[in-house]
Amino acid sequence: MLINAYSKAVYNIALNFFADKDIAADVTQDIFLKTYHNLEKFKEEKNFTAWLFTISRNYCIDYWRKNKKYFLNNQELDEKISIPDPTPEDNLIRESEIVELRKKIAQLEPELRIILILRDIQDLSYQEIASKFSIPEGTVKSRINRARLKLAQSFIGGEQ
Amino acid sequence: MIHKCKEIESLLSAYLENELSPEESVKIAQHLASCPHCLNLKEKIEEILPKLSDLQEEVPFFLKNRLFNIPEISEKKKFAKIIYFPKWLAAAVGTIILFLNLFYFTNIFPSVNREMHSVVGSIETFVVQTGGWFEKIKESKDLLLFTFFNKKTSESKDEKMNSDFNLNKGLTKGGKNG
Repeated sequence: MLINAYSKAVYNIALNFFADKDIAADVTQDIFLKTYHNLEKFKEEKNFTAWLFTISRNYCIDYWRKNKKYFLNNQELDEKISIPDPTPEDNLIRESEIVELRKKIAQLEPELRIILILRDIQDLSYQEIASKFSIPEGTVKSRINRARLKLAQSFIGGEQ
Repeated sequence: MIHKCKEIESLLSAYLENELSPEESVKIAQHLASCPHCLNLKEKIEEILPKLSDLQEEVPFFLKNRLFNIPEISEKKKFAKIIYFPKWLAAAVGTIILFLNLFYFTNIFPSVNREMHSVVGSIETFVVQTGGWFEKIKESKDLLLFTFFNKKTSESKDEKMNSDFNLNKGLTKGGKNG
């Protein structure tokens, strides 16, 4: 029940946060393990989704901080290795675009990244994000704006 | 980048989502018409935003399998926690038992050996005494049960005898009448 209802949302947070399918799978598993272990503590909480999303956000940010060197090295390597010319097949172009977009998102600050994922990828409203993470709606809006600007700037910088 | 650009950038998302007042929107539109830098940013955001929704993916089958096994794994871990016994504690207990045996069965340290025998002796006395107590308790319990049940059976016997007596009396009376 729990897995059917929430695995897609959690997996997509991890996948777009780390831009790596293997890490996303491991992190998703860890998040659900953590959730099961702490289910007894949940009784006091009001909203399960908010609780699960907070666990996911905290876990992703912790995981990224613990392995920061690895991720930064990988980003540098990715920048050095040129992206191969797109093949004529549409699906392959789309696939390479997705990979590039994910890599650019993974370069944002963790707090901006998580909010961009929830708003623009998972289509949550500002209000929902604010209530899930117990932060003011204005903060969510300004973070989303910063995240979008940085993402756009990273593409413009790459083009120049 | 001029100061105005910073101000416009901070409002770009709200502008794209039509959350600004008409006056503010006009002000931004005017700036965008005259500033290629801000216009470029705005167009890039507009280009990226629809693509972001394509980044959602289904959970891979292998991961779903792993996730469905989690409750089982956590149960096993819980059980492992219950029977968990720290290694250092086990080593300490083992060493103490070993030394106690050594002191008890050998005479390396006579004073310790004597002390241990006296301790064991007092434990034995205690065990014998408590055994005696247990025997006494058991006896008194048996006695209590015996008296209770005996009383009950004697009562039922009396009742039976009375009913038999009444029955016989009735029969003899009937016989005489007949």
